[in-house]
Amino acid sequence: MKISSLIVTLFLTASTVLYAGEKVVVYNWAEYIPEGALEAFTKETGIEVEYSTFDNNETMYSKLKLQKGKGYDIVVPSTYLVSKMRDEGLLHEIDHSKLKNLSNLSISLMNKEYDPGNKYSIPYLWGSTGIAVNSKEIDPASITAWADLWDPKWEGKLLLVDDVREAFHMALKKNGFSTNSTNPDEIKTAYEDLQKLMPNVRVFNADAPREPYLAGDVNLGMIWSGEAKMAQDENPDIKYIFPKEGAGFWIDSFAIPSGAENLENAHKFIDYMMSAEVAKQTVEELGYSTPNGEARDLVNEETRHNPVIFPPAEVIDKGEFQKDVGDAMQLYNEYWEKLKAGK
Amino acid sequence: MPPQVKNLIKPLFSFRRGVIFLTLFWLGLFVLVPHVLVLVTSVLTPDPQHLAVWPVTLDSWARLFDPLYVEVFWHSLWLSAVTTVICLLLGYPFAWILAKLPGVWRGVLLFLMIVPFWTNSLIRTYAIKLILGNKGLVNTLLVGAGITDKPVELLYTPFAVIFGLVYVLLPFMVLPLVSSFDKLDRNLIEAAHDLGAGWWQRFRHIILPLTMPGVVAGCLIVFLPAMGMFYVADLLGGAKNLLLGNIIKNQFLVVRDWPFGAAFSVALIGIMAALMWLYFLANQRINRQGGLDDEGI
Repeated sequence: MKISSLIVTLFLTASTVLYAGEKVVVYNWAEYIPEGALEAFTKETGIEVEYSTFDNNETMYSKLKLQKGKGYDIVVPSTYLVSKMRDEGLLHEIDHSKLKNLSNLSISLMNKEYDPGNKYSIPYLWGSTGIAVNSKEIDPASITAWADLWDPKWEGKLLLVDDVREAFHMALKKNGFSTNSTNPDEIKTAYEDLQKLMPNVRVFNADAPREPYLAGDVNLGMIWSGEAKMAQDENPDIKYIFPKEGAGFWIDSFAIPSGAENLENAHKFIDYMMSAEVAKQTVEELGYSTPNGEARDLVNEETRHNPVIFPPAEVIDKGEFQKDVGDAMQLYNEYWEKLKAGK
Repeated sequence: MPPQVKNLIKPLFSFRRGVIFLTLFWLGLFVLVPHVLVLVTSVLTPDPQHLAVWPVTLDSWARLFDPLYVEVFWHSLWLSAVTTVICLLLGYPFAWILAKLPGVWRGVLLFLMIVPFWTNSLIRTYAIKLILGNKGLVNTLLVGAGITDKPVELLYTPFAVIFGLVYVLLPFMVLPLVSSFDKLDRNLIEAAHDLGAGWWQRFRHIILPLTMPGVVAGCLIVFLPAMGMFYVADLLGGAKNLLLGNIIKNQFLVVRDWPFGAAFSVALIGIMAALMWLYFLANQRINRQGGLDDEGI
């Protein structure tokens, strides 16, 4: 008896010693950090990373809202959520003096209207949403527009990313509206158009849209630029198309929730991810574009000239960046739920 | 009813009371209170900012009858019902064979059935994706053997959802059935045999009625969770073949319409309670008659 209780005591003490160290709790998108980056961060700073992932903005927001901003030290919302969360007091102001790598970021992606002065968010990655085609099965030249996905011949064939704003982007653009429309009539038109698209949908995916393409389960549909690049690394037949109505563009940023308990470590984490070397690795591995100017100079030739990662200016001009749509978001969400529930 | 063994229990009286108190406390805190909260939430007014606010309204309940959700409801019910029937058809003979086997083999087979449970069912569901995909094991075999010239679309269909649900839930059907078969008195079957009952008559009038409690219990334990396993529908059904669990999850996490999600949950609990009640009635009838008669349930 005595010995066993001694062992238990020893074990408990040991585990407290082991786990009492510094930590930072990160809540990031699935498949959104390069391999080994967390371990390298821990090695460099001695800070343990507790890491978990989400696969859509809404889930992350709901959890933070429910926990009143507690439980995480770092979250990675898209632009439209940054302003919303800031206004609702869910975000902590970021202390720029603690970010020595901040100067690495390029000016063009800073100080946008969703967060003037980047007081609450530091851009991590940006990218586009376009169309993926498996050129072995479908002629990529035959697909040029979002509208092509509505063709009845694709019945039960398409992949859509499970993201309300991006699905509506297709339909809004197809009808000539802004992706940031707050006009209920326009949103309704888009909803009705998406209803017509639903019979063509085989699968909604948000954790790793490239997987069904690589597995050969779908050959056509939506994809994120980074996922497209990762898919191409494994299978060059998968082509990425910028639809002529305009691709969707978004920025995902690091933010610190108002209830974060490890503020100091959260700043260290952001700073680490912004270092040119880590940002370079992030771009090369994930295939999303980086706001990090220093890293852009470091990346290899192949990456720098890859239009999927760094699209030409005219493609960006034709596309549209996501912005906060305020209360209209609720309308979008309700329609989206109905679309997915409908047969 | 087992014979009362009061003399044995008496000295343990305080212990017994302690156990009962703990159980009630546990059930109260973790079952009753959350359910009351869900029930209250279901009659509040939805508010995306504060999740749910006063005043009390029945709007969320009315929305349950929106044709859209009624359709999802029936689809989900259908998926779960098919799953239950398949589990029963597979599980019943399996449990029967298992009960007939000598002890060692029985143990081994039961063990083999339970082993996959040591792996998280989410991971096993991902594995099914690999098996059912266009380039998965099944299609490679079908195409390779020349049975089909093109891969059959299995993944992201209702079939895949049912396949996944059956795989995950089969043991829950088998275990109550095995215990039912264990309790089955062999003498009754032999007596029936001696009295000239054929194979079918013995099954129909002796074995089936006596194992009916296992059948009903197994069906309940399979049917109810089958309606809630949202991740199976998400992964294998491509988030298109929704179960009630998906609707509830999305109402809470995506739309943030808590009252509606809560109303959906309460409705699901209501169905469960109704089924449990039927089970209770059936059990009472079995106890009264010493077995179900020809009409069965």
